[in-house]
Amino acid sequence: MSLVDRVVLLGRAGLDTLAALGRSGLFLVNVLFGRARFGNGWTLLVKQLHAVGVMSLAIIVVSGLFIGMVLALQGYNILVGYGSEQAVGQMVALTLLRELGPVVTALLFAGRAGSALTAEIGLMKATEQLSSMEMIGVDPLKYVIAPRLWAGFISMPLLAMVFCVVGIWGGAMVAVDWLGVYSGSYWSNMQNSVEFTEDVLNGLIKAVVFAFVVTWIAVFQGYDCEPTSEGISRATTRTVVYASLAVLGLDFILTALMF
Amino acid sequence: MNDASDYIVELKNITFRRGSRVIFDNVDIRIPRGKVTGIMGPSGCGKTTLLRLIGAQLRPDSGSIWVDGQNIPELGREQLFAARQHMGMLFQSGALFTDLDVFENVAFPLRVHTDLPEDMIRDIVLLKLEAVGLRGARALMPDELSGGMKRRVALARAIALDPALMMYDEPFVGQDPISMGVLVRLIRLLNDAMGLTSIVVSHDLAETASIADYLYVVGDGQVLGQGTPEELMNSDNPRIRQFMQGEPDGPVPFHYPAQNYVQDLMQTEKDA
Repeated sequence: MSLVDRVVLLGRAGLDTLAALGRSGLFLVNVLFGRARFGNGWTLLVKQLHAVGVMSLAIIVVSGLFIGMVLALQGYNILVGYGSEQAVGQMVALTLLRELGPVVTALLFAGRAGSALTAEIGLMKATEQLSSMEMIGVDPLKYVIAPRLWAGFISMPLLAMVFCVVGIWGGAMVAVDWLGVYSGSYWSNMQNSVEFTEDVLNGLIKAVVFAFVVTWIAVFQGYDCEPTSEGISRATTRTVVYASLAVLGLDFILTALMF
Repeated sequence: MNDASDYIVELKNITFRRGSRVIFDNVDIRIPRGKVTGIMGPSGCGKTTLLRLIGAQLRPDSGSIWVDGQNIPELGREQLFAARQHMGMLFQSGALFTDLDVFENVAFPLRVHTDLPEDMIRDIVLLKLEAVGLRGARALMPDELSGGMKRRVALARAIALDPALMMYDEPFVGQDPISMGVLVRLIRLLNDAMGLTSIVVSHDLAETASIADYLYVVGDGQVLGQGTPEELMNSDNPRIRQFMQGEPDGPVPFHYPAQNYVQDLMQTEKDA
């Protein structure tokens, strides 16, 4: 391959990327600001909140529990060397609220709900369900995409909160019930050091940003995918990869800005 | 039939490209109101593209598409969705919503576009399902239906809002003789009973010719010929004759363009 060919390929890739970014931006504007015409919008939203949010609850609770338990175990082993194992509650809570709660929830959400959204929408496209909806005079952006997007925005921050709560309980189980840290110090150290705005609110802001990005990527990849079996499989992979990278990258930027 | 209002759809000077490939090159097609018009041609010649252009799921590179006095490519998103309520389209796969049962699939357009009370929606849905002979299948899910039944349910859904224009995308593909006969009869019957205009895109010659009032044969980005089925059957144009008689070789060659056969065989792998 000659140098010119390589430059051409690079240019083509750059143009394709820019075009995809443009399409995804227009797509988002159309979904968010398009006028809804359907009386049953709430029913559609509730159905999606169940599919996207409630159905992700099990993986979030189990992961939160284990991550909280591991944090307490690791933290205890390090802190006990300095005789400050009383601070394990504070460490578990801060780590979960500031970082692991929003980030791990977003990664799990991308794998559990994001991939499902992409595959579902992609398959609807491949089986011409989206086309037939258009021909019935119903905009799939409003009828199919919008409820799924809003369901993701709403449910992921809630899931992140559940994750943190369960993680803190898991930490208490290991530190207090198993390793014998005094429960008064576990909880009171946590209460003294965790600030509502600094820690809880900032964590929640992160979760909202991640929810937005992950769901946007998932529904756009489904809607924009090539309507074949390989196309859907590639789009599903892209959802998980792009969403995970976006979450980790944004997490660094947000952390730099917040703390 | 020279008055413009005699035609429900008029495509004027349509050019449509896909990448560098020209699908339609300055094509004019007019669909007479109240008739069944067949669009025929070999596979891959852009017949389905034509329906998607009329339904504005694709936009032409140049030219205008008039449907009932509106230039479809120039409509805004909202106007377009309003215009589509007067069109019905039967997709090749049926394209039923897999999460809804037969009844809800047919009720879908009524629920989103009308404020009719539930008992009236029920009556209309049963009426449409009766017309396609599937009133008894209303509680089934799409994956419990055969291919022919799916298409009939999709047909009932497409006519739920009593459209003025019905478009059929390859309605006969992959159907057994009985379902094929049922569909052929239904298309003609619905067209006449409901006062529709129907466009049937197909390469199934006998079936389409048996119900169409007027036929277009398209290929190579052009309209190769048009007329009543009898006129086309007796056409002198070799391209049309080859298509209508189903001859394997003719102006459309049997072989995909390739280099000389003997040379190709004599070449060693290294040369190739």
